Amino acid sequence: MEKVMVKGTEAIGEAAIRAGCRHFFGYPITPQSELPEYMSKRLPEVDGVFLQTESEVATVNMLYGAACTGTRVMTSTSSPGFSLMMEGVSYMACAQLPAVFVNVVRGGPGLGDIQPAQGDYWQATKGGGHGDYKLIVLAPATVQEAVDLTVLAFDLADKYRTPTLILADGLLGQMMEPVEFPEFRDLSTLPDHSSWAMTGAKGRKPHIITSFDIDPYILEKMNLELVKKYREIEKNEVRWEEFKTEDADIVITAFGTVARIAKSVVEMARKDGLKVGLFRPITVWPFPYEPLKKLAEKVDLFFDVEMNMGQMLEDVKLAIGGEKPVAFYSRMGGVVPTPNEIYEALKKEFGRRE
Amino acid sequence: MSKNFVFIGLFGSGKTEVAINYSIFLRKKYEKVAIADVDIISPYFRTRDVVDLLEKKGIKVITPPGVLKYADLPIVSGAVAGFLQNKDYKTVLDVGGEENGVVVVGYLKPYLEDAEISLVINTRRPFTSDVEGIIKTYEQLSKIAKLKISYLINNTNLSNETTKEIILEGEEIVSKASEVLEVPVKFTVVPSFISDINTKFPQFKIERFMKMEF
Repeated sequence: MEKVMVKGTEAIGEAAIRAGCRHFFGYPITPQSELPEYMSKRLPEVDGVFLQTESEVATVNMLYGAACTGTRVMTSTSSPGFSLMMEGVSYMACAQLPAVFVNVVRGGPGLGDIQPAQGDYWQATKGGGHGDYKLIVLAPATVQEAVDLTVLAFDLADKYRTPTLILADGLLGQMMEPVEFPEFRDLSTLPDHSSWAMTGAKGRKPHIITSFDIDPYILEKMNLELVKKYREIEKNEVRWEEFKTEDADIVITAFGTVARIAKSVVEMARKDGLKVGLFRPITVWPFPYEPLKKLAEKVDLFFDVEMNMGQMLEDVKLAIGGEKPVAFYSRMGGVVPTPNEIYEALKKEFGRRE
Repeated sequence: MSKNFVFIGLFGSGKTEVAINYSIFLRKKYEKVAIADVDIISPYFRTRDVVDLLEKKGIKVITPPGVLKYADLPIVSGAVAGFLQNKDYKTVLDVGGEENGVVVVGYLKPYLEDAEISLVINTRRPFTSDVEGIIKTYEQLSKIAKLKISYLINNTNLSNETTKEIILEGEEIVSKASEVLEVPVKFTVVPSFISDINTKFPQFKIERFMKMEF
């Protein structure tokens, strides 16, 4: 495949189509409206369906319906829009329906602004909707990775019969980079969902898909089935990247766009002779607790950087378990930290502890 | 030489980079040059983000006023029409992408009598990768701009991975589209880090302004 120049939002859209997604329902919201716009042009070209819904609540319920048939379906939105979808996401998790959600996070809380932020980490990884459920949450840091993780999001959704989430931010959504797309997936090779999906009950017992049981003992069984699945996912699907951690005294922890900025910080520090590395969760759920814990054995100081008040910070501390100090630097409100300011903050923190 | 210069195109075709560089090019020849950011579509990576840099070069930058520059609202400052009519100024319009962005051009039509409209094309972008796509884009956008497009611009690039071959491959496609549409090619954009390239059309050297530090 030859390389093309695409925005993060378009990259996710095209990757979804290549992964075999033929259904997209969505409602526009900055900074991700190019994604539905792209799908509205592209899906008719591949005999797919694009529908602009009347609201995010309608969107998530259309996803529920489409996913019941076993087809690959997606939507994308930005922070306040994802909050509106929460009830339906919880229903889909309970009904074990595969679908891919994209949240291109912007400044919050509330209406916030339209600049990039990471304030939806807790919502994405700790629930957000009601009840005991988890989403597989993938956090890309480059446009190429947005492509690769979108394909993975569909495959994992199918494999575990669960909604998955691409947690991006406005900067990744809007930036343009050269990428290579995978080949088109042959639709006939997609996973077979005939054992549970609504495919027409002629000649067989009807399938029932529901997120409800009035008998608490049966609902508890459903809960336990979900828990078992989540344990499986925690065992098999943890993904992370380590950059120059082999000899590092200080390790920056960051995800998404900030991890990308942190890479520049690592290079700056290395030039000055400081042994700095980067630990970047790719799956923010399941979070890479074990590899981070292992890293803590040989690192003196962790430096967590996020565009929020310190959300992933809690998971970083859980992983490290109080053995090593964890410093924190953040910008909020849609302000993106520069490599320089992060480096200055890191040096100050390091100096204080020397 | 026309009085006003309008750059239109699809999302991410490079309109803003070309418009900024063109205003700098004009400033070398003319005392009074203005660039108006009438992008009502993009939330980030807009001319308004490099105001200080352009004003240092003596170019007047017209953007939505005050904090409204952080919005993606359909704001077109009244000053835009003023600068388009002001005979002392060469004025460049940086227009938003796609049909919805180009609506602004239709709105400003009364002030665009002496203007050249250029369609910026990157053949490594979705929807303009071949002659057919360029023709479709040309037709869609000229219908909405309500004006005839004067030139095509070959801005084929892969950002910092651009090579001579990629530029020339784009030139070939844009050249064919130009023949079918009977619209001339104004220039081929060449990034400053590429030298020693022979192009069919005049070369326009550009610096990149919408870049990130990481």
